[in-house]
Amino acid sequence: MDCSQVRDAFMSGKVLPKSEVQAHLDVCPHCAALFDNDAELGRSLAAQVAPALPFPEDLFGAIEASVGRETGLRAWLRSRPSTLRFQLLALCAVVLVGAGSMRYRPDLAAYPVARMVILLGAYFIAVLLALGKELSLAVRRGKVADYPALAAFGLGLPFLAAFAPATEASRLVGPQGALGCFLYGALFTLPLGILLWAFDRDDRPTLRTVCLSAAALGLSANLMLELHCPSGHPLHLLLGHASIGLAWLASWFVARRLSRA
Amino acid sequence: MAAYIAGDKAAFRELFQRYAPLLQRAMARDLRNAEEANDLVQQTFLHLHRSRLDFEPGRKLKPWIFTIALNLKREFFRRSKRRHETSLEDDRIAEPYEGPRGQERSDASRETARALATLPAEHREVIELHWFGGLSFPEVAEAVGSTVAAVKVRAHRGYVALRARLGDEVPDPEGLAPNKPSEGESH
Repeated sequence: MDCSQVRDAFMSGKVLPKSEVQAHLDVCPHCAALFDNDAELGRSLAAQVAPALPFPEDLFGAIEASVGRETGLRAWLRSRPSTLRFQLLALCAVVLVGAGSMRYRPDLAAYPVARMVILLGAYFIAVLLALGKELSLAVRRGKVADYPALAAFGLGLPFLAAFAPATEASRLVGPQGALGCFLYGALFTLPLGILLWAFDRDDRPTLRTVCLSAAALGLSANLMLELHCPSGHPLHLLLGHASIGLAWLASWFVARRLSRA
Repeated sequence: MAAYIAGDKAAFRELFQRYAPLLQRAMARDLRNAEEANDLVQQTFLHLHRSRLDFEPGRKLKPWIFTIALNLKREFFRRSKRRHETSLEDDRIAEPYEGPRGQERSDASRETARALATLPAEHREVIELHWFGGLSFPEVAEAVGSTVAAVKVRAHRGYVALRARLGDEVPDPEGLAPNKPSEGESH
Protein backbone atom coordinates (compact mmCIF):
# COMPACT_ATOMS: atom_id res chain seq x y z
CA MET A 1 0.00 0.00 0.00
CA ASP A 2 1.37 3.42 -0.89
CA CYS A 3 0.57 7.04 -0.06
CA SER A 4 -1.70 7.63 -3.02
CA GLN A 5 -3.84 4.58 -2.20
CA VAL A 6 -4.19 5.65 1.42
CA ARG A 7 -4.88 9.27 0.58
CA ASP A 8 -7.36 8.46 -2.19
CA ALA A 9 -9.21 6.07 0.06
CA PHE A 10 -9.22 8.62 2.85
CA MET A 11 -10.70 11.26 0.61
CA SER A 12 -13.23 9.02 -1.05
CA GLY A 13 -14.33 7.28 2.12
CA LYS A 14 -13.35 3.85 0.84
CA VAL A 15 -12.62 1.36 3.59
CA LEU A 16 -9.24 -0.27 3.44
CA PRO A 17 -7.91 -3.19 5.47
CA LYS A 18 -7.08 -1.73 8.86
CA SER A 19 -3.88 -3.70 9.32
CA GLU A 20 -2.48 -2.57 5.99
CA VAL A 21 -3.33 1.04 6.73
CA GLN A 22 -1.67 0.79 10.12
CA ALA A 23 1.42 -0.77 8.59
CA HIS A 24 1.70 2.11 6.14
CA LEU A 25 1.09 4.76 8.80
CA ASP A 26 3.89 3.27 10.89
CA VAL A 27 6.41 4.11 8.18
CA CYS A 28 4.89 7.19 6.53
CA PRO A 29 4.83 10.38 8.61
CA HIS A 30 2.91 12.31 5.96
CA CYS A 31 -0.01 9.92 5.88
CA ALA A 32 0.21 9.50 9.63
CA ALA A 33 -0.34 13.23 9.93
CA LEU A 34 -3.55 12.85 7.94
CA PHE A 35 -4.81 10.33 10.41
CA ASP A 36 -3.30 11.90 13.47
CA ASN A 37 -6.27 14.12 14.17
CA ASP A 38 -9.87 13.04 14.32
CA ALA A 39 -10.45 10.99 11.23
CA GLU A 40 -13.99 12.19 10.69
CA LEU A 41 -12.92 15.82 10.75
CA GLY A 42 -10.05 14.98 8.45
CA ARG A 43 -12.32 13.20 6.04
CA SER A 44 -14.70 16.11 6.10
CA LEU A 45 -11.83 18.40 5.25
CA ALA A 46 -10.70 16.04 2.55
CA ALA A 47 -14.14 16.31 0.99
CA GLN A 48 -13.42 19.99 0.49
CA VAL A 49 -10.63 19.15 -1.91
CA ALA A 50 -12.16 20.12 -5.17
CA PRO A 51 -10.82 18.70 -8.39
CA ALA A 52 -8.65 21.14 -10.29
CA LEU A 53 -10.58 23.48 -12.51
CA PRO A 54 -9.88 23.13 -16.20
CA PHE A 55 -7.05 25.33 -17.33
CA PRO A 56 -7.65 27.73 -20.15
CA GLU A 57 -5.95 26.23 -23.16
CA ASP A 58 -3.69 29.19 -23.55
CA LEU A 59 -2.59 29.53 -19.91
CA PHE A 60 0.77 27.89 -20.41
CA GLY A 61 1.18 29.85 -23.64
CA ALA A 62 0.43 33.07 -21.76
CA ILE A 63 3.01 32.17 -19.12
CA GLU A 64 5.58 31.35 -21.77
CA ALA A 65 4.84 34.64 -23.50
CA SER A 66 5.23 36.64 -20.27
CA VAL A 67 8.49 34.84 -19.56
CA GLY A 68 9.56 35.52 -23.14
CA ARG A 69 9.07 39.24 -22.56
CA GLU A 70 11.62 39.12 -19.76
CA THR A 71 14.41 40.60 -21.84
CA GLY A 72 16.56 43.68 -21.52
CA LEU A 73 18.59 45.25 -18.75
CA ARG A 74 15.87 45.44 -16.11
CA ALA A 75 14.83 41.83 -16.62
CA TRP A 76 18.46 40.80 -16.26
CA LEU A 77 18.98 42.91 -13.14
CA ARG A 78 15.83 41.79 -11.36
CA SER A 79 16.61 38.13 -11.99
CA ARG A 80 20.04 38.32 -10.34
CA PRO A 81 20.35 36.38 -7.08
CA SER A 82 19.15 38.31 -4.06
CA THR A 83 22.57 38.24 -2.42
CA LEU A 84 24.12 39.91 -5.44
CA ARG A 85 21.33 42.48 -5.66
CA PHE A 86 21.82 43.31 -1.99
CA GLN A 87 25.57 43.68 -2.43
CA LEU A 88 25.14 45.93 -5.46
CA LEU A 89 22.66 48.14 -3.64
CA ALA A 90 24.87 48.39 -0.57
CA LEU A 91 27.84 49.26 -2.79
CA CYS A 92 25.77 51.88 -4.60
CA ALA A 93 24.71 53.42 -1.28
CA VAL A 94 28.29 53.52 -0.02
CA VAL A 95 29.57 55.10 -3.25
CA LEU A 96 26.81 57.71 -3.28
CA VAL A 97 27.24 58.60 0.37
CA GLY A 98 30.99 58.79 -0.14
CA ALA A 99 30.64 61.00 -3.21
CA GLY A 100 28.02 63.22 -1.61
CA SER A 101 30.08 63.84 1.48
CA MET A 102 33.33 64.59 -0.33
CA ARG A 103 33.02 68.09 1.04
CA TYR A 104 33.14 67.27 4.71
CA ARG A 105 31.43 69.51 7.16
CA PRO A 106 33.86 72.19 8.36
CA ASP A 107 33.36 71.36 12.01
CA LEU A 108 34.06 67.64 11.58
CA ALA A 109 37.28 67.74 13.56
CA ALA A 110 35.53 69.37 16.51
CA TYR A 111 32.40 67.29 16.31
CA PRO A 112 31.76 64.77 19.12
CA VAL A 113 33.09 61.45 17.87
CA ALA A 114 30.66 59.38 19.92
CA ARG A 115 27.64 61.16 18.46
CA MET A 116 28.97 60.80 14.96
CA VAL A 117 29.79 57.11 15.35
CA ILE A 118 26.46 56.24 16.98
CA LEU A 119 24.42 58.19 14.47
CA LEU A 120 26.27 57.04 11.38
CA GLY A 121 26.33 53.46 12.66
CA ALA A 122 22.60 53.53 13.29
CA TYR A 123 21.92 55.00 9.86
CA PHE A 124 24.18 52.52 8.12
CA ILE A 125 22.76 49.48 9.89
CA ALA A 126 19.21 50.70 9.27
CA VAL A 127 19.99 51.16 5.56
CA LEU A 128 21.33 47.62 5.33
CA LEU A 129 18.36 46.23 7.23
CA ALA A 130 15.88 48.05 5.01
CA LEU A 131 17.62 46.94 1.82
CA GLY A 132 18.03 43.40 3.08
CA LYS A 133 14.41 43.17 4.12
CA GLU A 134 13.22 44.59 0.85
CA LEU A 135 15.23 42.15 -1.24
CA SER A 136 14.80 39.08 0.88
CA LEU A 137 12.77 36.25 -0.45
CA ALA A 138 11.49 35.83 3.06
CA VAL A 139 8.22 34.12 3.29
CA ARG A 140 5.26 36.17 4.35
CA ARG A 141 6.78 39.21 2.67
CA GLY A 142 3.27 40.33 1.90
CA LYS A 143 2.13 40.02 5.47
CA VAL A 144 1.45 43.53 6.72
CA ALA A 145 2.84 42.92 10.20
CA ASP A 146 6.16 41.90 8.75
CA TYR A 147 7.80 45.20 7.87
CA PRO A 148 6.09 48.35 9.27
CA ALA A 149 8.29 48.46 12.38
CA LEU A 150 11.46 48.51 10.30
CA ALA A 151 10.02 51.03 7.82
CA ALA A 152 8.80 53.27 10.66
CA PHE A 153 12.20 53.04 12.35
CA GLY A 154 13.99 53.89 9.12
CA LEU A 155 11.74 56.82 8.35
CA GLY A 156 11.59 58.03 11.95
CA LEU A 157 15.25 57.75 12.95
CA PRO A 158 16.31 60.99 11.21
CA PHE A 159 13.52 62.85 13.02
CA LEU A 160 14.78 61.59 16.37
CA ALA A 161 18.35 62.43 15.39
CA ALA A 162 17.32 66.04 14.80
CA PHE A 163 16.91 66.40 18.54
CA ALA A 164 20.03 64.49 19.51
CA PRO A 165 22.70 66.46 21.39
CA ALA A 166 24.88 68.51 19.05
CA THR A 167 27.66 71.02 19.41
CA GLU A 168 26.69 74.55 20.21
CA ALA A 169 28.44 75.78 17.07
CA SER A 170 26.35 73.55 14.83
CA ARG A 171 23.17 74.68 16.57
CA LEU A 172 24.07 78.28 15.91
CA VAL A 173 24.35 77.74 12.16
CA GLY A 174 20.63 78.23 11.97
CA PRO A 175 17.78 76.77 9.96
CA GLN A 176 18.66 78.40 6.65
CA GLY A 177 19.75 76.25 3.72
CA ALA A 178 17.25 73.48 4.45
CA LEU A 179 15.95 73.45 0.89
CA GLY A 180 19.46 73.11 -0.51
CA CYS A 181 20.18 70.14 1.76
CA PHE A 182 16.86 68.56 0.83
CA LEU A 183 17.56 68.84 -2.91
CA TYR A 184 21.18 67.72 -2.46
CA GLY A 185 20.15 64.64 -0.51
CA ALA A 186 17.26 63.76 -2.79
CA LEU A 187 19.40 64.15 -5.91
CA PHE A 188 22.23 62.00 -4.61
CA THR A 189 19.91 59.19 -3.63
CA LEU A 190 18.10 59.23 -6.97
CA PRO A 191 20.46 56.63 -8.55
CA LEU A 192 19.85 54.34 -5.59
CA GLY A 193 16.11 54.78 -6.08
CA ILE A 194 16.43 53.86 -9.76
CA LEU A 195 18.46 50.78 -8.87
CA LEU A 196 15.87 49.73 -6.29
CA TRP A 197 13.18 50.08 -8.94
CA ALA A 198 15.22 48.06 -11.44
CA PHE A 199 15.78 45.27 -8.93
CA ASP A 200 12.12 45.02 -7.93
CA ARG A 201 10.62 41.77 -9.17
CA ASP A 202 7.04 42.99 -8.94
CA ASP A 203 5.58 44.76 -11.94
CA ARG A 204 3.88 47.21 -9.62
CA PRO A 205 5.82 48.00 -6.44
CA THR A 206 4.16 46.72 -3.33
CA LEU A 207 3.50 48.92 -0.30
CA ARG A 208 6.26 47.03 1.46
CA THR A 209 8.73 47.80 -1.30
CA VAL A 210 7.77 51.46 -1.33
CA CYS A 211 8.02 51.91 2.45
CA LEU A 212 11.32 50.07 2.83
CA SER A 213 12.82 51.75 -0.24
CA ALA A 214 11.79 55.18 1.00
CA ALA A 215 13.32 54.39 4.38
CA ALA A 216 16.57 53.21 2.78
CA LEU A 217 16.75 56.29 0.55
CA GLY A 218 15.99 58.68 3.39
CA LEU A 219 18.55 57.05 5.66
CA SER A 220 21.21 57.09 2.93
CA ALA A 221 20.57 60.80 2.34
CA ASN A 222 20.81 61.53 6.06
CA LEU A 223 23.98 59.50 6.35
CA MET A 224 25.52 61.56 3.58
CA LEU A 225 24.22 64.91 4.91
CA GLU A 226 25.43 64.13 8.42
CA LEU A 227 28.95 64.07 7.00
CA HIS A 228 28.38 67.05 4.73
CA CYS A 229 26.16 69.63 6.39
CA PRO A 230 27.47 71.71 9.32
CA SER A 231 24.03 72.69 10.61
CA GLY A 232 22.78 71.11 13.80
CA HIS A 233 19.72 73.30 14.08
CA PRO A 234 16.67 71.09 14.72
CA LEU A 235 14.44 72.93 12.25
CA HIS A 236 17.05 72.64 9.52
CA LEU A 237 17.51 68.94 10.24
CA LEU A 238 13.79 68.29 10.24
CA LEU A 239 13.01 70.19 7.04
CA GLY A 240 16.18 69.60 5.05
CA HIS A 241 17.34 66.15 6.15
CA ALA A 242 14.73 64.05 7.92
CA SER A 243 11.99 64.88 5.45
CA ILE A 244 13.78 63.24 2.49
CA GLY A 245 12.55 59.73 3.30
CA LEU A 246 8.99 60.94 3.69
CA ALA A 247 9.33 62.89 0.45
CA TRP A 248 10.31 59.70 -1.38
CA LEU A 249 7.31 57.99 0.14
CA ALA A 250 4.99 60.86 -0.80
CA SER A 251 6.36 60.99 -4.34
CA TRP A 252 5.33 57.39 -4.86
CA PHE A 253 1.78 58.08 -3.73
CA VAL A 254 1.62 61.15 -6.00
CA ALA A 255 3.01 59.16 -8.94
CA ARG A 256 0.49 56.39 -8.36
CA ARG A 257 -2.37 58.86 -8.19
CA LEU A 258 -1.22 60.58 -11.37
CA SER A 259 -0.82 57.27 -13.19
CA ARG A 260 -4.38 56.30 -12.22
CA ALA A 261 -5.70 59.66 -13.36
CA MET B 1 14.15 22.99 -11.43
CA ALA B 2 17.88 22.51 -11.91
CA ALA B 3 17.22 21.66 -15.56
CA TYR B 4 15.14 24.78 -15.96
CA ILE B 5 17.81 26.99 -14.38
CA ALA B 6 20.28 25.40 -16.77
CA GLY B 7 18.12 26.58 -19.66
CA ASP B 8 16.01 23.53 -20.47
CA LYS B 9 12.72 25.02 -21.68
CA ALA B 10 10.94 21.68 -21.62
CA ALA B 11 11.57 21.57 -17.88
CA PHE B 12 9.42 24.67 -17.49
CA ARG B 13 6.45 22.90 -19.04
CA GLU B 14 7.02 19.98 -16.71
CA LEU B 15 7.08 22.32 -13.72
CA PHE B 16 3.84 23.83 -14.93
CA GLN B 17 2.17 20.48 -15.38
CA ARG B 18 3.29 19.31 -11.97
CA TYR B 19 2.53 22.36 -9.86
CA ALA B 20 -0.07 24.45 -11.68
CA PRO B 21 -3.04 22.24 -10.66
CA LEU B 22 -1.96 22.33 -7.01
CA LEU B 23 -1.51 26.08 -7.11
CA GLN B 24 -4.78 26.64 -8.88
CA ARG B 25 -6.65 24.56 -6.34
CA ALA B 26 -5.04 26.44 -3.48
CA MET B 27 -5.77 29.82 -5.09
CA ALA B 28 -9.30 28.99 -6.16
CA ARG B 29 -10.50 28.37 -2.63
CA ASP B 30 -10.07 32.03 -1.68
CA LEU B 31 -10.83 33.74 -4.95
CA ARG B 32 -14.14 34.47 -6.52
CA ASN B 33 -13.54 32.99 -9.92
CA ALA B 34 -11.26 30.76 -11.91
CA GLU B 35 -9.97 33.69 -13.94
CA GLU B 36 -8.44 35.34 -10.88
CA ALA B 37 -6.98 32.02 -9.76
CA ASN B 38 -5.45 31.39 -13.16
CA ASP B 39 -4.05 34.91 -13.24
CA LEU B 40 -2.29 34.32 -9.92
CA VAL B 41 -1.00 30.97 -11.15
CA GLN B 42 0.44 32.79 -14.16
CA GLN B 43 2.05 35.43 -11.93
CA THR B 44 3.47 32.72 -9.70
CA PHE B 45 5.28 31.13 -12.62
CA LEU B 46 6.50 34.52 -13.84
CA HIS B 47 7.94 35.22 -10.37
CA LEU B 48 9.37 31.72 -10.30
CA HIS B 49 11.22 32.62 -13.49
CA ARG B 50 12.46 35.93 -12.06
CA SER B 51 13.60 34.29 -8.85
CA ARG B 52 15.04 31.14 -10.38
CA LEU B 53 18.64 32.01 -9.55
CA ASP B 54 17.70 32.28 -5.88
CA PHE B 55 16.62 28.68 -5.76
CA GLU B 56 19.12 26.60 -3.85
CA PRO B 57 19.76 23.14 -5.30
CA GLY B 58 18.77 20.52 -2.81
CA ARG B 59 15.88 22.48 -1.40
CA LYS B 60 12.34 21.31 -1.96
CA LEU B 61 10.65 23.13 -4.77
CA LYS B 62 7.03 22.76 -3.70
CA PRO B 63 7.19 24.89 -0.53
CA TRP B 64 9.27 27.45 -2.40
CA ILE B 65 6.65 27.80 -5.12
CA PHE B 66 3.89 28.01 -2.54
CA THR B 67 5.78 30.76 -0.73
CA ILE B 68 5.78 32.80 -3.93
CA ALA B 69 2.11 32.01 -4.51
CA LEU B 70 1.06 32.91 -0.96
CA ASN B 71 2.83 36.24 -1.14
CA LEU B 72 1.20 37.02 -4.47
CA LYS B 73 -2.19 36.06 -3.08
CA ARG B 74 -1.75 38.31 -0.05
CA GLU B 75 -0.74 41.19 -2.29
CA PHE B 76 -3.75 40.52 -4.49
CA PHE B 77 -6.07 40.75 -1.50
CA ARG B 78 -4.33 43.87 -0.22
CA ARG B 79 -4.71 45.57 -3.59
CA SER B 80 -8.26 44.53 -4.10
CA LYS B 81 -9.00 45.43 -0.47
CA ARG B 82 -10.75 42.13 -0.02
CA ARG B 83 -10.52 40.03 3.05
CA HIS B 84 -8.45 36.91 2.85
CA GLU B 85 -11.31 34.68 3.60
CA THR B 86 -13.95 32.83 1.73
CA SER B 87 -17.35 34.39 1.51
CA LEU B 88 -20.04 32.35 3.19
CA GLU B 89 -22.13 32.85 0.10
CA ASP B 90 -19.40 31.54 -2.12
CA ASP B 91 -20.56 29.22 -4.86
CA ARG B 92 -17.94 26.64 -4.08
CA ILE B 93 -19.32 26.33 -0.58
CA ALA B 94 -22.83 26.08 -1.87
CA GLU B 95 -21.78 23.21 -4.09
CA PRO B 96 -18.94 21.34 -2.44
CA TYR B 97 -17.18 18.46 -4.05
CA GLU B 98 -19.43 15.54 -3.21
CA GLY B 99 -17.29 12.56 -4.02
CA PRO B 100 -18.80 9.13 -4.06
CA ARG B 101 -20.71 9.40 -0.79
CA GLY B 102 -23.34 11.70 -2.17
CA GLN B 103 -25.74 14.13 -0.58
CA GLU B 104 -25.30 12.99 3.00
CA ARG B 105 -21.67 13.87 2.82
CA SER B 106 -22.26 17.01 0.80
CA ASP B 107 -24.22 18.57 3.66
CA ALA B 108 -21.40 17.87 6.07
CA SER B 109 -18.93 19.27 3.57
CA ARG B 110 -20.88 22.48 3.31
CA GLU B 111 -20.89 22.85 7.06
CA THR B 112 -17.20 22.15 7.22
CA ALA B 113 -16.48 24.68 4.50
CA ARG B 114 -18.46 27.34 6.34
CA ALA B 115 -16.68 26.56 9.58
CA LEU B 116 -13.34 26.62 7.82
CA ALA B 117 -14.07 30.05 6.37
CA THR B 118 -14.58 31.49 9.86
CA LEU B 119 -11.20 30.38 11.19
CA PRO B 120 -8.48 32.97 11.80
CA ALA B 121 -6.31 33.27 8.71
CA GLU B 122 -3.17 31.87 10.36
CA HIS B 123 -5.00 28.72 11.40
CA ARG B 124 -6.88 28.30 8.17
CA GLU B 125 -3.78 28.87 6.08
CA VAL B 126 -1.87 25.87 7.42
CA ILE B 127 -4.92 23.62 7.25
CA GLU B 128 -5.58 24.61 3.67
CA LEU B 129 -1.97 24.18 2.61
CA HIS B 130 -1.87 20.77 4.23
CA TRP B 131 -5.17 19.50 2.92
CA PHE B 132 -5.73 21.35 -0.30
CA GLY B 133 -2.17 22.15 -1.31
CA GLY B 134 -1.00 18.65 -0.53
CA LEU B 135 1.97 19.87 1.52
CA SER B 136 3.36 17.90 4.42
CA PHE B 137 3.77 19.79 7.69
CA PRO B 138 7.50 20.33 7.17
CA GLU B 139 6.67 21.72 3.73
CA VAL B 140 3.92 23.91 5.16
CA ALA B 141 6.38 25.21 7.74
CA GLU B 142 8.85 26.10 5.00
CA ALA B 143 6.16 27.74 2.88
CA VAL B 144 4.86 29.99 5.65
CA GLY B 145 8.26 30.65 7.23
CA SER B 146 7.64 28.96 10.53
CA THR B 147 8.71 25.89 12.42
CA VAL B 148 7.12 22.49 12.08
CA ALA B 149 6.09 22.57 15.73
CA ALA B 150 4.48 25.99 15.38
CA VAL B 151 2.64 24.92 12.25
CA LYS B 152 1.32 21.83 14.01
CA VAL B 153 0.14 23.96 16.90
CA ARG B 154 -1.66 26.30 14.51
CA ALA B 155 -3.25 23.36 12.71
CA HIS B 156 -4.28 21.80 16.01
CA ARG B 157 -5.88 25.03 17.19
CA GLY B 158 -7.64 25.23 13.86
CA TYR B 159 -8.96 21.70 14.24
CA VAL B 160 -10.15 22.42 17.78
CA ALA B 161 -11.90 25.57 16.59
CA LEU B 162 -13.40 23.68 13.67
CA ARG B 163 -14.77 21.01 15.95
CA ALA B 164 -16.17 23.67 18.24
CA ARG B 165 -17.84 25.47 15.36
CA LEU B 166 -19.22 22.24 14.02
CA GLY B 167 -20.51 21.37 17.46
CA ASP B 168 -18.76 18.02 17.33
CA GLU B 169 -21.34 16.96 14.82
CA VAL B 170 -18.96 16.00 12.11
CA PRO B 171 -20.33 12.83 10.54
CA ASP B 172 -18.60 9.69 11.59
CA PRO B 173 -18.82 7.24 8.74
CA GLU B 174 -17.05 3.95 9.16
CA GLY B 175 -13.50 5.04 9.32
CA LEU B 176 -10.07 4.35 8.22
CA ALA B 177 -8.51 5.76 11.32
CA PRO B 178 -6.86 3.00 13.25
CA ASN B 179 -6.42 5.21 16.29
CA LYS B 180 -8.58 8.06 17.34
CA PRO B 181 -6.38 10.35 19.42
CA SER B 182 -7.67 12.12 22.43
CA GLU B 183 -9.05 15.65 22.16
CA GLY B 184 -5.94 17.32 23.46
CA GLU B 185 -3.48 15.50 21.31
CA SER B 186 -1.45 17.74 19.09
CA HIS B 187 -1.74 17.29 15.36
